[in-house]
Order: sequence, then structure tokens, then C-alpha cells
Amino acid sequence: MLHGRQEPRLDTLQSIELAEGVEIHLRMAGPYVRVLAYLLDLLIRGGVSVGVGLLLMLAGAVLGFNVATGLNMLLTFFLMFFYYILFEAGKHGASPGKRVMGLRVVDTSGAPISFGQSFIRNMLRFADGMPIPFYGFGLLSMLATQRFQRLGDLLANTVVVYDRLPHLQMAALPPVLESRAPGVPLTREEQAALAGFRERGGMWSEARRIELADHASELSGATGVTGMSRLLGMAHWLGEKH
Amino acid sequence: MQGKEFQEKNEQRWAEYEQALNALEKKGEGRLDVARLPAMFKEICTDLALSRHRMYGVAMNERLNGLVIRGHKLIHRRAGGTWEQLLRFVTVDFPVAVRAEWRLFWVATLTFILPMLGVALAGFYWPDFSWVEVVLGSEMMSSLDSMYGESDGQIAHLRSEYGSNFMMFCHYIMNNIGIDFRIYAGGILACLGSLFFLFYNGVYFGAVIAYIHVACSKESFYTFVAGHSSFELIAMVIAGMAGLRVGLGLLHPGRKTMRRSLMDAGKRSLPLIFGAALMTFVAAGIEGFWSARDLPPMVKYTTGVIMWVLVVAYLIFAGRSVGVGAGRRGNQREA
Repeated sequence: MLHGRQEPRLDTLQSIELAEGVEIHLRMAGPYVRVLAYLLDLLIRGGVSVGVGLLLMLAGAVLGFNVATGLNMLLTFFLMFFYYILFEAGKHGASPGKRVMGLRVVDTSGAPISFGQSFIRNMLRFADGMPIPFYGFGLLSMLATQRFQRLGDLLANTVVVYDRLPHLQMAALPPVLESRAPGVPLTREEQAALAGFRERGGMWSEARRIELADHASELSGATGVTGMSRLLGMAHWLGEKH
Repeated sequence: MQGKEFQEKNEQRWAEYEQALNALEKKGEGRLDVARLPAMFKEICTDLALSRHRMYGVAMNERLNGLVIRGHKLIHRRAGGTWEQLLRFVTVDFPVAVRAEWRLFWVATLTFILPMLGVALAGFYWPDFSWVEVVLGSEMMSSLDSMYGESDGQIAHLRSEYGSNFMMFCHYIMNNIGIDFRIYAGGILACLGSLFFLFYNGVYFGAVIAYIHVACSKESFYTFVAGHSSFELIAMVIAGMAGLRVGLGLLHPGRKTMRRSLMDAGKRSLPLIFGAALMTFVAAGIEGFWSARDLPPMVKYTTGVIMWVLVVAYLIFAGRSVGVGAGRRGNQREA
């Protein structure tokens, strides 16, 4: 949760500095959830194509067969090229499939994307999609870039992020009685780790807490229950002092 | 200050800000005083920075992070003005962009024209249809026969049924704009996709011309294509230019990082492919509603020549008078 981003990290958070001088953290969406969104969109497009196609056939009795066929071609053209472009350039910044999966396309600065960006990233689906239908190039590019960007994303300078922030599961441990100063000065990240341990401790079993606390036995100078309560004491001390 | 105090002190402000966000996100402007939002947004930004620095805990950081992201989205929404933009695009931005990429224009044109001329000439000298059939396929050959086989207004007869003009218009939109888009997307594969499609289309057109010269009525073919050929062919070449621009972003980043180079290439290719799609749309209109009309050949040819002159003059001259300065500035912003 801190600013330093030099070391490789386990999470997919990307911090982006705004013009206002503050950083926001965006959660990048990986291939798995995006494939699901793609399949959903495929279903929706297929459904619309079949449904409206049938309606047009019926309407053909009134409009004339040729006109209905022409309209059907326009529909196919629209679904093939402009379905994604219009939805992603729209208010929600996501195709219906992405919306269901809780995703959104944004500029790498975190701002909503323009029509042009949406156009580029979705036009490039034809290249990303090769070899058809495996999205081979897109997948390779996503695995090779830090922010899961396929070729279209790289060209349009966009990223796909989780729009809804996950519900935080947190349960803090009750404050310990004994507040305890750490034996050595701690860096900010170490302080944050201690605070995080206390904030989330309530979610874990006693055995798990002790197991985690043992990793910091060098700091607490003890293992087992003693080490854990010493760590909690330090977390309390840090909280008091700030 | 403890995290709790910080929260208690600011809670009201945050709630107010969040209410404003809710209202704006729901129904656009509403009755809300929008002028206050940027100030509120900046305060929240400061709160987030403070909360992170003082380590008030994950819960508060996440909440403020979410609030800042939502405000950022609202404040950085793009402004409208669609029609004005479109007008400016057609009269200035597009022709300026095409002229700025004149090198790519020649590359794309030659990639298309040389194979076309080569195959067509080969067809005149060695009228052996076995290889024409390899390129076109027997189905396409019989459909060419049915369209241009004789000289007396065959296509007009094919289009006599009610609604068939509209159907063909839609068909040309789907097919030809689709081809433009594929040519464009193929550019990211190190230019090879765009070059391949241009070359392939050249060979294909060459084979069509060769076949028609030998086996069908030349007049019914050329009267048909005269009207829309300018828009359609030039648009295809411009789609190729857009693809090549994208590919060059990958192949030739120059002193930029790869990421930056790709981004810039994407931006620079955009006016080209938009313009190509627009021109192909116009071509589809002409091809659907004008080209098949049963009119005297001279009318058709004259229209065709006028169209070619107009399109070429448009691409060469449009947008110059608005001031090279304006165009340049536009370009630099794009670059």
C-alpha cells in the first residue's frame, strides 16, 4: 500500500500519479477475467444477431426482402466493428460483458478513454485475435507487458481495470494491553506491514497468526504466542505515536 | 492525529463529496453546483495523500482511493462538439494528415498498383485463364460474367428489383469498409499485414481487369466503376497508409521508448483510418445508388473523371488555406 514500486510485487496494483499530485491505485484485470468478458460479449452479439435477424426477416414481408437483407448486413457490420467501440467509448467505459465482470477500460492515466482510443484498441482485435480464434498475439502481449496490455491497448494507451473495488474483508484484533516500542527503527513499509497485521488479524485463526508472526521473530525476539503478542504490542505503539 | 480523529474531522466533507459524485454519475449535470467539484476533489486528493503518509490504515486508504478515482473520471470527461469536430476533420485534419504522410502514400500506392498493372498486362499478353481462375475462383468469374458479360445495361437489369440498390449499398459498406479496417489492423504485424492485403487486392483487381478485357464487355465494366473508383481505391490506399504508420511505430521507434512510439503511431494513424472509412462510405453510396444506373457511357465517364479530379484536388489542397500553422499545430499535438 505504499509508494515505492521498484521491487517486483505480488499484487496487480498500479499506482498512477494524477495532476493533483496524489497517487491512485488501479487494479489491472488479467487475461482470465477478460476472456470471460469476451465470451459473454460473444454470446450477446450472437444473440442480438440471431434475434434481430429473425425480426428483420419478418419485417422483410413489409419492407421488401432486399431492404431487410441490406439492414441485416448493416447489423452484422455494426456488431463486428462498432459494438465494442461505441460501448467502450460510452459512459460506462465497458462493453456489456466487461460490465458484468466488473471491468472498465481507462486511459493509462486513469481517465475515461476517447472515441479514438476505443476505435484503435478495438480495431486491433483483428491482429490481437490471430491466430483466430485464440487471441494468440493478444495473450503474448498481455503476458509480456506489466499492465496486461494487448497490442490494441499498447497502441491506444489504455488498460483494463477492475471498476468495482473489492469489498475489503477486515477484522482487527482487539488492542493489546502492553504497548511496546520496537527495538530497531522501522522503515515505512515495515511499519505498514505491522499495522496491516493488526488490522487483518481477526480474520485468521490463532495458529495462522502465530505462523505469520514467526516470520518476524527476528524483530520480536521470540516465536510462538509471545512473539505474536509482542508484534501486536509494537503495532499498537506505532498507532499511538502517530 | 489518530486515524479515527482524522476521519471524524473530515467525515462530513467526504460524505458531501460522495453525494455530489452520486448525483453527477446518475444524471449528468443535474441541479448540482458543478463549480465546487474540482475544489472538493483537490481536498480529497490531499486527504488521500495525508492518509497514506500517516498510515491511517488500509480501509481508509482504499476508501479515499476509490473516491479520488471516481472524481478523476468525472472531471476528466471529454467534451463534446461532435459536428464541429467532424467538419474540421473533413476540411482540415484529414487532408493535412494524408499530406504529412506522403512517403507512406507512395509506398501504399505502389504496393497496390504495381501488382495490379503487372497481372493485368500479363493477362492481355497471355490470355490463359487457368491462372486467372486460380486468383479469382470460378464463382467470381461467373459472377463477373453475369455483371459485365454483355454491353446493354446488364447491371441496371440486375438492380431493377425493389430495394436491391439499398441492399448493395449495405453490402459495400460491410465488405469494403471491413477490408479497410483489416488492412489497418494488419499494420501492427510489422507492416506485413497491410502490405499483404494491398498486394493481394492489387493482384485480384489486376486479374479482374484482365478477365474482363478478354471475356466480357469492357464498356459495361468501366461505366460501372467510373463513378466510385476514385473514392474507393484512394480510401484503400489511405487505410494502407494508416496500417503502415502503425507498423512503423513498432519497427522504427527512433529515440522514443517502444511504449511511447506505439502510442504516438496509434494517434497519428487515427485521422487516416477515419478518413478512409468515411471515403469508403461515400464510395458505397455512389456504387449502390449511382454506378448501376442505365445512363449513357459518356455521362458515366465524365462523372468519373470529375470525381477523380475532385478527390485528388481535395487531398492536395484542402486545409492549406486554414493556415499551415493551424495544421502544423494540430500535427504536433498529434505527434
